[in-house]
Amino acid sequence: MSAAETTMRAKSIGFARKLVEWWALAGGVLLIAVVLMTTWSVFSGAVFGTPFPGDFELTEIGVAVAAFAFLPYCQITGSNVSADIFTSRAGPRVIAALTLLAALIAMAFSLLLLWRMWAGMIDYQKYLETTAILQIPLWTAFVPILCSLALLCLASVVTLVEATEKLAQGAATGSKPS
Amino acid sequence: MNGELLIGLMGLVWLIGLIAIRIPIAYSMILVGGVGVTVLNGPAIFMSQLKDLAYAQFSIYDLSVVPMFVLMGNVATRAGLSQDLFRAANAWLGWMRGGVAMAAIAACAGFGSVCGSSLATASTMGRVALPELSRYNYAGSLATGTLAAGGVLGILIPPSVVLVIYAIIVEANIVTMFMAAFVPGLIAVAFFMITIFIYVTLRPDSGPPGDAVSRREFFEATLRVGPVLAIFGLVIGGIYLGFFNPTPAAAIGVFLVTVYGIVRGAVRVPDMRIALLDTAKTTGMIYLILLGAEMLKIFMSRGGVPQAAAEMMANSGLAPVTILILLLIALILLGCLMDSLSMILLAIPFFWPVIAELDFGMGAEELKIWFGILALIVVELGLITPPVGMNVFVISAMAKGVPMRDTFIGVMPFFVAELLRIGLLVAFPAIALWLPRLLSG
Repeated sequence: MSAAETTMRAKSIGFARKLVEWWALAGGVLLIAVVLMTTWSVFSGAVFGTPFPGDFELTEIGVAVAAFAFLPYCQITGSNVSADIFTSRAGPRVIAALTLLAALIAMAFSLLLLWRMWAGMIDYQKYLETTAILQIPLWTAFVPILCSLALLCLASVVTLVEATEKLAQGAATGSKPS
Repeated sequence: MNGELLIGLMGLVWLIGLIAIRIPIAYSMILVGGVGVTVLNGPAIFMSQLKDLAYAQFSIYDLSVVPMFVLMGNVATRAGLSQDLFRAANAWLGWMRGGVAMAAIAACAGFGSVCGSSLATASTMGRVALPELSRYNYAGSLATGTLAAGGVLGILIPPSVVLVIYAIIVEANIVTMFMAAFVPGLIAVAFFMITIFIYVTLRPDSGPPGDAVSRREFFEATLRVGPVLAIFGLVIGGIYLGFFNPTPAAAIGVFLVTVYGIVRGAVRVPDMRIALLDTAKTTGMIYLILLGAEMLKIFMSRGGVPQAAAEMMANSGLAPVTILILLLIALILLGCLMDSLSMILLAIPFFWPVIAELDFGMGAEELKIWFGILALIVVELGLITPPVGMNVFVISAMAKGVPMRDTFIGVMPFFVAELLRIGLLVAFPAIALWLPRLLSG
């Protein structure tokens, strides 16, 4: 692999990381918006007797969309918990191979869910389903969620590439346990 | 044994195998659940379920308190509350022998009242209290043991993320669960302080008394925890008294803690950014595990595994209390292998049906609450016991001069105190049930 190729790859991985992080932050801002809306609803309900209309369903949609937006960031930062106790003595190559396997599962999962939830969105458009009070069409919530799933796929590709690199490095230098 | 049950049990073996080779717990559950349902029912039903399953799971209203409490805890760790809490507790208790350690416990309890995570409580309070403890020449093992144990209070004292998850799995009322956790939480605080008292009585030089503070300092320090107490009173008190549901209460909590942090000048835009990203990590992790647990549940109940386990236990001829203790021991052992949340999500769907079949002389609702509090305490023990005592790791990483072994030794007296508390709760369920009975009439 040439030096130019390596920097290209490093640059794209860096870009993907930034993208995923910004997406997670956008989810966080959405969560804060839900917090402010709910706080306002309680305040206004207590003081003026008029809670925010549809605060329940806005919370449900907002938190769900935010939670999906967090998934790619979780993947790329390796925050999904695993039990490391059984493999604590394994060498770095074994760990890299297992990380690779986990990344493959994550990728397959994101693609499967992307495909199925796309179909789910089409269903919701066809048989138009809306929330009870504000009449928000449910399929609109699926648009950012599908973006999150696409980013989850991207994130698992990044972890996959990084694990492959580690595996290749391990093969080049021999498998010395660190 | 019928074929479906056999497939279900094989699924469990696969699950354990995948978890053992470091596949994230959420993905292990998703994979086994998805493949299992497909094997049992054919692909068509599962594929059609997947169109909506994840969204339906993520948009459960009761679950929305989880990211909010996580965010509240993450802002609280940066808002400077921990210093205020420790200074006040130290003004009250510091003059005694072992008092600075007791103050650390009290401050952990205070911090736990706005934070629902043990690790966050241990690391935040550790940052504040460890330097103080070493300044007063406390023995390294007592100092680190105290903080590792004190961190557990983060989850025992409401709000508690694990408790919310438990309530959702067994379909218990979250408010009642929060009420039930309160008295056992206070008992934990008392037991931990008594433990420190006994420790320093046996080894007087391990925890010398701190400085007595002037009257002015005393009042100043006490007044500064006013906002923390007010936030806790409003959020948890409001939930207890039925002023608002957990979700609005959590939202108000996030709002107030953030305002407090901004007013104190401790929380600025970069801090909020880190708090949000940490929230993203924890929330994403929890939600993905929840989705996996749901898929696994569909597979397991289709295979009839929980029912078979419940039947086997009910026909075993063992006394209900014996079965309960066996299950609690199983939870302690599991807690040595994985984090508390994954464990609750993995084990409770199997354990609860077993418990529900047994007669403990109380109604199903109360049984849910009592078992939940017991499971919560037991699960948390895993945080302070080897081999993966996460709290101990976190505190050890901070206290550079104290070897990890000393921390594990230092935490042992607190472990014994916890076992005593579990025994007390098993013998007297009323400890947990008293407050919910009183408040809900």
